[in-house]
Amino acid sequence: MASKKTNQNKVTPEDSNSRRDFIKKSGLFTALAFTPPTLVMASDKKWDEKIAEYLETVSLSIEVNGQKHNLNIEPRTTLLDLLREQLHLTGTKKGCDHGQCGACTVHVNGTRILSCLTLASMQQNAQVTTIEGLSNGKKLHPMQEAFIKHDGFQCGYCTPGQIMSGIACIKEGHANSREEISEYMSGNICRCGAYHNIVDAITEVKEGGKEL
Amino acid sequence: MSKTSNINRVDGFAKVTGSATYSAEYKADGVVYACLVGSTIAKGRIKSIDTKKAEWAPGVLAVITHLNVDKPSGYQKPKDKRNFGQSLQIFKDDSVLYYDQPIALVIADTFERMQYAASLIKADYLKEEHSTELHKAADKERKIDTDKGNDYHRGEHDGYKNAEVILETEYTIPTEVHNPMELANIIAKWDGNKPILYTKSQGVEGTRKSVAGVFDVPVENVEVHSEYIGGAFGMGLHTWPYEIAALIGSKKLNRPVKLVLHREQMFTNVGFRPYTIQKMGLGATKEGKLTGLTHEAVAMTSSYEDFMEGTVNMSRFIYNCSNVSTRYRIVPLDTCTPIWMRGPGEATGSFALESAMDEMAYKLNLDPIEFRKRNYAEKDLEQNKPWSSKFLLECYEAGMERIGWKNRKNEPGLLKEGNWLVGYGMGTGTFGCYRSPTSVKAKFLANGDLVLQCSVNDMGPGTATMMTAIGAEVIGLPSENVIIEMGKSGLPKGPTQGGSATTSSVGSAVHDSCNLLLSKVIELASKNVALKGIPITDLTFENGVIFSKKDKSKSITFASLLSSNKLEDFEVENLSKAAEEAKKYSIYSFSVHFVKVLVNPNLGKIRLAHVVSCADIGTVINQKTSAGQMFGGAVGGIGMGLMEALEIDHRFGRPINNNFADYHVPVNADIEKQEVFFVNKKDPISNPMGTKGLGETALVGMAPAIANAVFNATGKRVRDLPITLDKIIETVKV
Amino acid sequence: MKNFQIIKALSASSAVTGKAKDNSSMFIAGGTNLVDLMKKNVVAPDKLVDINGLDLKKIEFLKGKVSIGALAKNSQVAEDSSIKEKHPLLALALAAGASQQIRHMATVGGNMLQRTRCSYFYNTDMPCNKRVPKSGCGAIGGSNRMSAIFGASDSCIAVHPSDMCVALAALDATVLVEGPKGKRQINFTDFHRLPGNTPEKDNTLDSRELITSVEIPDHNFTKNVHYLKVRDRTSYAFALVSVAVALDLKNNVIENARLAMGGVAHKPWRLTETEEFLKGKTVSEELFRQAANLSMKGARGYGENDFKLTLGANAITEALTIAASK
Repeated sequence: MASKKTNQNKVTPEDSNSRRDFIKKSGLFTALAFTPPTLVMASDKKWDEKIAEYLETVSLSIEVNGQKHNLNIEPRTTLLDLLREQLHLTGTKKGCDHGQCGACTVHVNGTRILSCLTLASMQQNAQVTTIEGLSNGKKLHPMQEAFIKHDGFQCGYCTPGQIMSGIACIKEGHANSREEISEYMSGNICRCGAYHNIVDAITEVKEGGKEL
Repeated sequence: MSKTSNINRVDGFAKVTGSATYSAEYKADGVVYACLVGSTIAKGRIKSIDTKKAEWAPGVLAVITHLNVDKPSGYQKPKDKRNFGQSLQIFKDDSVLYYDQPIALVIADTFERMQYAASLIKADYLKEEHSTELHKAADKERKIDTDKGNDYHRGEHDGYKNAEVILETEYTIPTEVHNPMELANIIAKWDGNKPILYTKSQGVEGTRKSVAGVFDVPVENVEVHSEYIGGAFGMGLHTWPYEIAALIGSKKLNRPVKLVLHREQMFTNVGFRPYTIQKMGLGATKEGKLTGLTHEAVAMTSSYEDFMEGTVNMSRFIYNCSNVSTRYRIVPLDTCTPIWMRGPGEATGSFALESAMDEMAYKLNLDPIEFRKRNYAEKDLEQNKPWSSKFLLECYEAGMERIGWKNRKNEPGLLKEGNWLVGYGMGTGTFGCYRSPTSVKAKFLANGDLVLQCSVNDMGPGTATMMTAIGAEVIGLPSENVIIEMGKSGLPKGPTQGGSATTSSVGSAVHDSCNLLLSKVIELASKNVALKGIPITDLTFENGVIFSKKDKSKSITFASLLSSNKLEDFEVENLSKAAEEAKKYSIYSFSVHFVKVLVNPNLGKIRLAHVVSCADIGTVINQKTSAGQMFGGAVGGIGMGLMEALEIDHRFGRPINNNFADYHVPVNADIEKQEVFFVNKKDPISNPMGTKGLGETALVGMAPAIANAVFNATGKRVRDLPITLDKIIETVKV
Repeated sequence: MKNFQIIKALSASSAVTGKAKDNSSMFIAGGTNLVDLMKKNVVAPDKLVDINGLDLKKIEFLKGKVSIGALAKNSQVAEDSSIKEKHPLLALALAAGASQQIRHMATVGGNMLQRTRCSYFYNTDMPCNKRVPKSGCGAIGGSNRMSAIFGASDSCIAVHPSDMCVALAALDATVLVEGPKGKRQINFTDFHRLPGNTPEKDNTLDSRELITSVEIPDHNFTKNVHYLKVRDRTSYAFALVSVAVALDLKNNVIENARLAMGGVAHKPWRLTETEEFLKGKTVSEELFRQAANLSMKGARGYGENDFKLTLGANAITEALTIAASK
């Protein structure tokens, strides 16, 4: 078969509307008083890419597990993708990316939320705690200990979300019975079906009465 | 109870701290992001595909379609009959064989830019008429042309028809989707012409083989890492087109490519439990002796690949019945090929068989367990062999006691708790015990630690923990001193994780290698001056010291044995296989799920007030992880019974609920009270440990247990899964 | 997802002005629905106006009413002890929605503006008049298990997915909004609309207006209330049918009743005729059955959702019974 390589169909910057549209919209054209020929040159040398990249990002100051980060990110970056792909904190998991499974649960300013539906750009100065922020070296958080003891997982993929949620569940005061724990942990799906043991683990931590 | 029979998961620390590294989480320098764009029709050809906007979108590095792909050289070669990979060759041509079939690969420098660019790709199609509805395509049904696809008959064909009491019923199960929490994902890269994959595979060696085939490279050149797998339940048994696509992209760019499927694509591109229609014919005497059993299944497959599973197999041997017929047919539909999903075939088959057994028990006015006991199979009539071991009756007894079976009324609709109707039901499960040849390397380090190596992986059942326990037991070490290396190529070859065979295969290999290691260490020690003249049989090895059983003062530490032989460590590698003796027996695990349901007939709400799962799985290596697996299998069966169904809009030939909000799986609140019981008696034949396998049978039998309990509560027999509330309220008088 | 600009609004009026400048800009608060829709390319704004900095989070008990700020989180309202005491129906409905994580993120105003969960709306390669006017309705003749049984049209049979809104409709709430032309109030039951020929419009809010708060007038529905949500699993699922019931009982006689359904229409389905019917009558099983049948008058199914006709009636009876027995 004749392989038609679309890449070879040379497309001029004029054909491609994405960059130029953006530059026009961002007002850069007037602000920097570029003349049209300069603009074309800028396109050729991919200056426009770089300028646009800069204009397309916002600065973000965010604290993750006690560590401050000053970043430039695209407004569309979710907190989940920021954690996993940019900060390499892969303990927080992507299970559905649409708020339907709970695997991405983290604490923001002490509250459990879904990081997949959270735009990082809206978390200016937020304090984020992820699963990596719970233990102190080899010393585990009581909830982590309890999950191991009660075997509250199998494949381990939903586990960080379950643990973050479990801690919050107790702190919120929703761990007063197995039934209540089950209801308030229902936003965290475990496909391995470790629910029975997850409730055991949370119950033990709650009854242990330690400050979380 | 041994010291290791209740140890915590050895990978627990990694999993609770987020430090366990799943496939797409490896750091790869210069990694770029890819995704697949799917077709929006179910059948036809791609007329044109507009990739220009995507190519010019910021950050885009490549857009690959059938028009510009450098086709892997293996595409030209004839495929193996038993291909570990999928028959679908991605980007091979312009044909579209199912909805959401990948038609383009988009690669960009960041995740966000890749996602956006992918949304800019538009294709035009020449549509052809598609067929996605099994009920409407029955005329295309055919037999699979292999031994396994043959009809089975024992005694008289369809002998049930001559019985005193006859039951003829039809059951359907919808398409169900594995949906592990971890999305299918891969980081693909190349080292020269050597492909390297960090991927979600249940079988490192299988993935190597299929990738080698596709790219026409030696198997040894394929490097595969699958050290942590976030569940798979069968979807990782194939190498899928997305993995090949990532390798194609990486080869083109000469950079590592990360590709993670969207949850939506998990419903369309990586297999599923096939939609299956089953017909049961049961014949019995009035006294409750089964005289005939016919089980027929018609299941979907794809248009490009035959798929079959053991749906009708259980009916051949689980009951004592002299006239048995089974038939299995497939119907090609315009979808992706199905793939075995937890309790494959047997889970589907047991829904029909165990529902029919319940229906027949009512016809005979017998307690369903009494009916089963009257037809208890003392031997395997299919293979005409004795069971290696069978403690199914113990499972019945344990379950009846725990669930409170004595409270059950045989007449439906009599029991109430408040406004809830109460019903009890049970379903039997079984799964064969298999054992694959497996190599394990056992290595002593100078510090006394034991390293066990095998390429097998652990998708969640606790394989590493099982290996640790067996190694520690055989060697006599604390489990903390055992180090497991697994889940990647280059290690001694282990089996694919599936078919409940991992403990039997790998556990046996660990057992054998550790015993060999012990004897080799003692042999070496016997040649040492410190132990000179002491017969090998008098030597033993404990706590890092080899000594004479008769005179403990005659000893040498393992460390000094190594140094005196100028060794840094001491290792053996051994290939372990099933004994010939095993072929004389029929080896199966057995399970029985009991449920007590509460039903609100007005709202159709079904609560699982109590679930008891009992199993005869031979020796239980680890009570904790085994219980976890049994709990989980039961939850999987609850999903199957009550809520899981992929809905297709047949007008478009596409799934309509392909997301986690609309395709329901059980949540925490669906599980009220759950118990597990194991007989825990060693099988004398299966393998050195006497285990029989658990992962599959943990699910098999759960769905019919629920259906039977719902009938017992309401008098409403639901033969089409899942038992959603609309099926309860329809006919219940309000 | 398309990239976009994001600006943070410092006051309600600047938010409104900021948004008004650009047609394709949208307000964002909790983002639980909007971000999801943007990921699916169902909506693709050029600009987001982040309103989380606005002072609209308070729950204030004023004379004769409670005012709940549009930015109050769903969990904050559900767990507020005074709300639980004075408006238990609202607390129950909120707690039945989504998951705790989502309730921590989602705001009261955002909850009102969430889009339908109809699969055809969410999948951009399918026909949907709500997403693309004149493209057809996929759910009619298709997968419509979740779809409406009341007030639907040939253009759209989608349902509004909220639980909270069902309670607010029953409780005669008022929506306070601010737009370029100033402030105005909308009766809650007039806020959402029926699809008619323009299903792309979910509600009567002008695209430039911002919800600032919701007010609920004081009432006596503090004891005999119930929110019954019927769904395909025990938790974390949208309603197939839900019923919000509030009864003011004196010696088993219904002085006053409020009744609304969710999961059955393009808007929370208030049942005023049934409320009138119940008024002054003595509680009985038969009465509730009659009320249920009356409520289902005019309901129609579209195939897969025919069961809602029975389920709806049963759910009303059940909810009334539970409420009356509290």
